Amino acid sequence: MLKYTIRRIIGMIPMLLLISIVVFLLAKAMPGDSLSGEIDPNNTNPEYIAEMREKLGYNDPLPVQYFDWVKGFVQGDFGKSTRYKMPVSDLIMERIPNTVFLGVSSLLITYILAFSMGIFAGRKPYTIGDHVIGGLNYLGLAIPSFIAGVFAIYIFSFNLGWTPYAGSVEVGLQEGTLDYWLSRIHHVIMPAIVLGALATASYTQFLRNDIIENSRKDFVRTARAKGTATSKIYNVHILRNSIIPLITFLGFDIATIISGAIITETIFTYPGIGQLFLNSVTTNDYPTMMAITMLLSLLTLVGNLIADILYGVVDPRIRLD
Amino acid sequence: MKKKPLQLLMIMLLILSAFLAACSSDSSSENENETGGETTDGEEGSEEGASGGTLTYGFESAPEGLFNPAFYGIVTDADVIDLFDEALFTYDENLQPEPGIASWETEDNKVFTFKFEQGVMWHDGVELTVEDWVFALETIAHPDYDGSRYANVQTIEGAPAFREGEADSISGLNVIDEYTLEITFDEARVNNLVNVWSYPMSRAQFEGIEVADMSASEQVRQNPVGLGAFKVENIVPGESIELVKFEDYWRGEPKLDGINIRVLDSSTVVGALGQGDIDMISLAPVNGEEVEALDNVELVTYPGLSYYYVGFKLGTFNSETNEITEDKEKYADPNLRKAMAHAINRQEWIDAFFFGYGSPVDGPVPSSHWIAADSADLSTYAYDPEKAKELLAEAGYEDVNGDGFVEDPNGDEFVAKFSHYQTTNPTFETRAQAIVQYWQEVGIQAEVEMTEVNLYYDMVEKDDPAIETFFGGWSTGADPDPTGLWGSDQIWNYPRYKNEESDKLLADALNIEVVGDDEEARAEIYKEWQQLISEDIPMIFIAELQEIAALSSRVENVTYDVSGPNLPYEWSVKE
Repeated sequence: MLKYTIRRIIGMIPMLLLISIVVFLLAKAMPGDSLSGEIDPNNTNPEYIAEMREKLGYNDPLPVQYFDWVKGFVQGDFGKSTRYKMPVSDLIMERIPNTVFLGVSSLLITYILAFSMGIFAGRKPYTIGDHVIGGLNYLGLAIPSFIAGVFAIYIFSFNLGWTPYAGSVEVGLQEGTLDYWLSRIHHVIMPAIVLGALATASYTQFLRNDIIENSRKDFVRTARAKGTATSKIYNVHILRNSIIPLITFLGFDIATIISGAIITETIFTYPGIGQLFLNSVTTNDYPTMMAITMLLSLLTLVGNLIADILYGVVDPRIRLD
Repeated sequence: MKKKPLQLLMIMLLILSAFLAACSSDSSSENENETGGETTDGEEGSEEGASGGTLTYGFESAPEGLFNPAFYGIVTDADVIDLFDEALFTYDENLQPEPGIASWETEDNKVFTFKFEQGVMWHDGVELTVEDWVFALETIAHPDYDGSRYANVQTIEGAPAFREGEADSISGLNVIDEYTLEITFDEARVNNLVNVWSYPMSRAQFEGIEVADMSASEQVRQNPVGLGAFKVENIVPGESIELVKFEDYWRGEPKLDGINIRVLDSSTVVGALGQGDIDMISLAPVNGEEVEALDNVELVTYPGLSYYYVGFKLGTFNSETNEITEDKEKYADPNLRKAMAHAINRQEWIDAFFFGYGSPVDGPVPSSHWIAADSADLSTYAYDPEKAKELLAEAGYEDVNGDGFVEDPNGDEFVAKFSHYQTTNPTFETRAQAIVQYWQEVGIQAEVEMTEVNLYYDMVEKDDPAIETFFGGWSTGADPDPTGLWGSDQIWNYPRYKNEESDKLLADALNIEVVGDDEEARAEIYKEWQQLISEDIPMIFIAELQEIAALSSRVENVTYDVSGPNLPYEWSVKE
């Protein structure tokens, strides 16, 4: 197992290098640069723009720019955001708590919903309950999150007044107090439900189908023949086997927690990484954009590694060496 | 990022927000029904205005967090700064400077003596002195400074030398005493005063911070200190800012206890206004109509300083020599340009795409500016398809092959290409299409090309051959000098229009020996210049927009003129 892990980690290095080249070239292929938006004759002049281009190294040959960037990146210096004029790492750290909080809450909602619905539907397939769950799931899959978000705001914020529709915390609360944390939870509930509920569908259906399939297998028949209680068969024997496909999702979920939900964050004005990423693309803020892309690539790779290792933990028959 | 899904998203959001607005308006409280109207009058409310209370100010986009006048980059940050900081002088409704913290005297428009009010306090309790202004000017002129304001300092004598590192201080700054500063400019100009950087920076706060580190510093991002009526209490990046009143504000105690800034998504603005969650916000034209229907909100419009145009590429700009040569033939015939101008129904277009919150503009200066010439004095191009056809025929553009569209004087196919920038806004393509249709109706074959916005300005700036006629907009500041956009050595002269007479008029209007300090004489020259431009028509002037703000019915004493809202210490709310 250890040998496998190390081999995989070493294997990541060339992959990351390749990704970095692609990310860098794609960023550079974007039209204009971070200064081309600044054409305000009241505030700035062409000399300033020319000077900043020189200062930011936009006039250097591409390989030089690339190696400068990689060199900084390896040393943990992600560069300075051209829009926010502060180190990208600080900028990301400022947003990460919000994003992780939202990501974890929405994942929690997804897992709770998916497990309860999936297990129920799997145990009682082709009943009305199963069909209702299936119907809800496909509805959730079909509704885009921005529609769900806007409707949720309209119903729960404007009509019922239950939840806030903007921000991550009430204005004017002291950080660290109980009220502060309650307010944070209050603010995260709705975006988390919108995000979490809509993602439930694939989890539930995978779980359901796997439970149905496994319940027809020989080991289940044997267990039944031995007189094992039905609930034990489902909760121990079948569930453990049926979790394996969900672990594949988990690998991607780790990246999802950080990448945030661009659209949901924007609609709920929830300042997180997703919003930052979108802004960095529209304003050609290369350092921020490239740092976030690299971070997400790395997390996807790590997530997949964790998933692969977990396979072995859940099912010792899957051997890794 | 892929563009298509985003566009779709925006369309959906627009539809949905319209739906939301329609639904939420009836739930709002019943108050006096005041909709429309030009500007609110401060007299309307109680004379004094109740004191106390907190006002919630909505923002449709998040500030970037550069809360210092010397460093900010976007308007949203500037709007925040205006609440807690103040320039040394302000502008009246005619955009003329008027004394604020500082008053000035000058004999020759070269040497100015500024006198500060005594006892003006920074939020941290330190008194403002002219040293703080000197500090701001030297920061901006510092070689490590990463903002874009050096243009406002470079006219001071000795600033270039300081920037090159040849001097330890700016020689044109002469501190006479704590409240008096003499500034010498490198030459006498009529606009030295409006152009010079007028925000002091707290020396005490920035002590020990290198210029290069300032924009990332806590003093700029988290705990900015200003001179204004409100001080920053707490900033939650990207979502809210809490401001409380500054009791020692030099103009007197503010009426409000505080202002809360909340960032919200454009799809929730109308709903939030209807619910009374926000008291004040600047609106996009698309939301205007829905907000007007709310009965607890008053819509205020005031003249803006921006205009939109359709430009013709007449030449190219050489960035080595900073020279323009008018070497493009396609639109060189003024009659063709005039015909294309007469073809456009500007009023209809503005009503359709700006929901009526704008009006046709006839020259390169927004009509609310004090140098703007009266439309009657300019060559105007009213919607007149017949006139357009006549002008085309006169210029030799006739339909030779009978396809319904004119050919150029040589008998070759003539296709006018119209470029417009593309963002996530779904109306841009339609409005570009509309312009092209006007041209087609008078017999000019035309096509639209939408280009991603960053690439678009890059292409316009580099005179890409793909750009023939193009859409654009400019906004002008308090300083009326249009040289930056029209001089024949300027990169932002996008049509690449070159006319020696125009250059001469622009120079004369700034020349102290021609106009002295007589504003009238200066305005006369600008009027002559506008006549020249409107006759030469290097661009078709389309529209000037109104700024729109929404105020809830509990807000009092907020007024707007062309320079923006009144000073925040006068604002109040009724309970």
